[in-house]
Amino acid sequence: MKRSEFLLTFPSAFWLFLFFIIPVGIVIVISFRGSDPYGGIIPLWTAEPYRSINFPVYSSVLLRTLRLSILTTVICLLTALPVSYAMARLPKKLQEICLLLLVVPFWTNFLIRIYAWKVLLHPDGLLKMLLTSLKLVSPDASLLYTEGAVLMVLVYTYLPFAILPLYSAAEKFDFALIDAAKDLGARGWQSVLKVFIPGISAGIISAFMVVFIPVLGSYIIPEIVGGAESEMLGNKIAQRVFVDRNLPRAGALSSLLMLVILFPSVISLFFRRNFKKEITV
Amino acid sequence: MKTGRYIFPRIMLVTTLLFIYMPLLILMINSFNGSRFSTVWGGFSLKWYVKLFHDRNIRRALVNTVIVAASSVAVSTVLGTLAGVVLVRYKSVLQKIHHIFITLPLIVPDILMGISLLLFFIAAGFRLSLGTIIIGHITFSISYVAATVQARFQDFDFSVVEAAQDLGADNFRVFYKIYIPLLSPGIISGAMLALTLSLDDFVITFFTAGPGSSTLPIQIYSMIRFGTPPVINALSTIFICITFMIVLIYQRSKRSLYR
Amino acid sequence: MKTESRRITIFALICILVSFLTVLSGCSRGEKSVLYIYNWSDYIDEALVEEFTEKTGIEVISDYFDSNESMYAKLKAGASGYDIVFPTSYMVEIMNKGSMLLELDHEKIPNIGYVDRKFLAMSPDSGMNYSVPYMISTTGIGVLGSRTGSPEKISWNIFSDPGYAGRMTMLNDVRETIGAALKYLGYSYNSIDTEELEKAGDLLISWKKNLAKFENDQYKNGLVSGEFYISQGYSGDILQVQEENEDISFIVPEEGTSISVDNMVILKDSKNTENAYSFINYLLEPEVAARNIEYVYYLAPNTEAYKLLSREILEDPAVFITDDVINSSEILLDQGENNVLYSRVWDRVKAATVD
Repeated sequence: MKRSEFLLTFPSAFWLFLFFIIPVGIVIVISFRGSDPYGGIIPLWTAEPYRSINFPVYSSVLLRTLRLSILTTVICLLTALPVSYAMARLPKKLQEICLLLLVVPFWTNFLIRIYAWKVLLHPDGLLKMLLTSLKLVSPDASLLYTEGAVLMVLVYTYLPFAILPLYSAAEKFDFALIDAAKDLGARGWQSVLKVFIPGISAGIISAFMVVFIPVLGSYIIPEIVGGAESEMLGNKIAQRVFVDRNLPRAGALSSLLMLVILFPSVISLFFRRNFKKEITV
Repeated sequence: MKTGRYIFPRIMLVTTLLFIYMPLLILMINSFNGSRFSTVWGGFSLKWYVKLFHDRNIRRALVNTVIVAASSVAVSTVLGTLAGVVLVRYKSVLQKIHHIFITLPLIVPDILMGISLLLFFIAAGFRLSLGTIIIGHITFSISYVAATVQARFQDFDFSVVEAAQDLGADNFRVFYKIYIPLLSPGIISGAMLALTLSLDDFVITFFTAGPGSSTLPIQIYSMIRFGTPPVINALSTIFICITFMIVLIYQRSKRSLYR
Repeated sequence: MKTESRRITIFALICILVSFLTVLSGCSRGEKSVLYIYNWSDYIDEALVEEFTEKTGIEVISDYFDSNESMYAKLKAGASGYDIVFPTSYMVEIMNKGSMLLELDHEKIPNIGYVDRKFLAMSPDSGMNYSVPYMISTTGIGVLGSRTGSPEKISWNIFSDPGYAGRMTMLNDVRETIGAALKYLGYSYNSIDTEELEKAGDLLISWKKNLAKFENDQYKNGLVSGEFYISQGYSGDILQVQEENEDISFIVPEEGTSISVDNMVILKDSKNTENAYSFINYLLEPEVAARNIEYVYYLAPNTEAYKLLSREILEDPAVFITDDVINSSEILLDQGENNVLYSRVWDRVKAATVD
């Protein structure tokens, strides 16, 4: 029996060990190595890559990364809550259609969706014309290449990821509880706050995870719609790899990112041990 | 009276759907725009589609994308399904470790996976090629397939397995005759998920791609940066239409599977 | 019990086999006569490449890079398999120091004699031992005439003009961008003086608040669609988009600029060296070079090709670089250990927040 268990476990466990665990280990090992100016790695142990993080240039990038991640997550959750509530209370047929409508854009390439925003936010684009005619922005201002544009596209990209787990939690929620709360004298928003939200807390945690973590590591969105001042940690890692060809420093930054991710992961695991099921809906 | 209470959430739902579709709609309209500028309407034209079909690089990227997607879906579905079954079936220390292996890729951002695979390939002396892209895609897909298959166990009737074993079926036959057919909706949606992820992935592919192995997302990326944007509009429109078709077919097949 | 575990063993083995077979099948391709090139985007007339394939039967597969550094990083990272790469001369030096380049056999490139000596003198590899000049370009400023009053002359300091705030871009290139600031301050593009570099960094930070972003490619479409008014960019790139929008013009700043010699090199681990030689030789054919110039608007330093060019191109100072510009400008050189100085300034500029 033991042998068959081992044999059945071996393929996936071995694959992931070889192509995931070892590579992550290599990142950590390389982050303690020296580098030469031509992209080589010098086989000596040093903490220089980590010391270089200490440099004040990183603080603004780190702060921006955290700020954008938190803002995106909060906006996504606040939008996804009422949306999933509304979806769960629709007739079954309509629920399915809504779900489909939410999932379909996923299937178009995400780069295409980002590009669509470039068109929309273009200085001569529709949105700009609308905002200018409403006298909300000056005709010379640029909507693109700002931190706001990055935030907007981040929210756009990750909103469906937040809605899906919340919806699957809300779908299982017994709405009779809300009516009961109302019968007991609770106001509409009170019943939502005290009954609905605790009832779908597991979904909220998974939604938080599937938005917050990918945003922390995002790199393409700030690169395409971001401006001179919207670099995130992911861009810095890419710069270390592709511009400075300093792999140890890239490794050190990556390890830092892993630490930042470990924190919410451990917290959420503490709250709910098998959030993984929710990730895949 | 009763619906009145749900007005706010419903407005949010409709607004969100509009928000999601607005940019896509503009892309689709623009793909028929004769003018190169998205902000001027230059009359109805199919010229961007003609240009698209004559683009050698896009054709090559399409072939690469199909090779990568097919291989990675095939392998990750097999490995992921095995993992999903084993994780539910056995409870041991080995499975605890296995479980950690399966969970970690789900919570690691793309860029970390990309850079770690790249450094691994450098260290191991691999030549970057389509093969390394496929390895990358399999690695992130296994976990998703495994998780989907596991989720399928939520409404799995284990008494069927016991009954079969009582009747003398061995483990292999149990796996083959009971798990696979009963789990097939889970396996299929796992495979679909793996397909979606593989078709969509840019970051990991970007880090692990070698000479001549650009996939469609990489091609789109370089088109956004260097190329003629109207061609991207045409490509996106085709993408969106194919997507709608596949989803419809998938929904149909799913319904018939459940019956 | 025994047969059961054996079956499972077989099943597991089949799974592993299937996995590796698919991966392998992904790796191996049909062995046709091929040539892998790694080039800048929009840097070759694709029609010429197709004609080459028709003539020789060699299939050309190209990938594109957006900076010397990213190309080098990718090659270093194990993207072996490319045959011809198009690095700028300072990158040729770096690659040569890393012994990545094949020593060229001039007998296999009969057309090599057409290369213009005047520009060869500017290249660190003037004997063409490892590299053959492909195109000469100058870095300058692309402007939208209607938005900027069509200036005749321009200074690098245009980026300090808040009137164009949010509508200007500079290159996302350590050397070119810091270099522009160095040049404006009257220093060399190749300065390794910490104090000069710090001053250039401060200047760049003051320019940065007016910039939409640091961008290597998208500025082209940005200029065409009127998104950007003023962009630092390469001569040919800007002239290429001029075709689509007449309003765009290319100006070399009065302080001088950098001139780049981009080269063709064959990598040492190339598996198709013969094909690589014949492709390089093909690109040096006067007729091909002339057509390439007319397409990309960069100058292929090919004395015989000049005779075939239209008057319009021959008289365009942005293509045929004037002696004045040559005298006031510099070529970027490899800084070796001192690259760190540039990286440090670049990090500071990128991270600076100016509100």
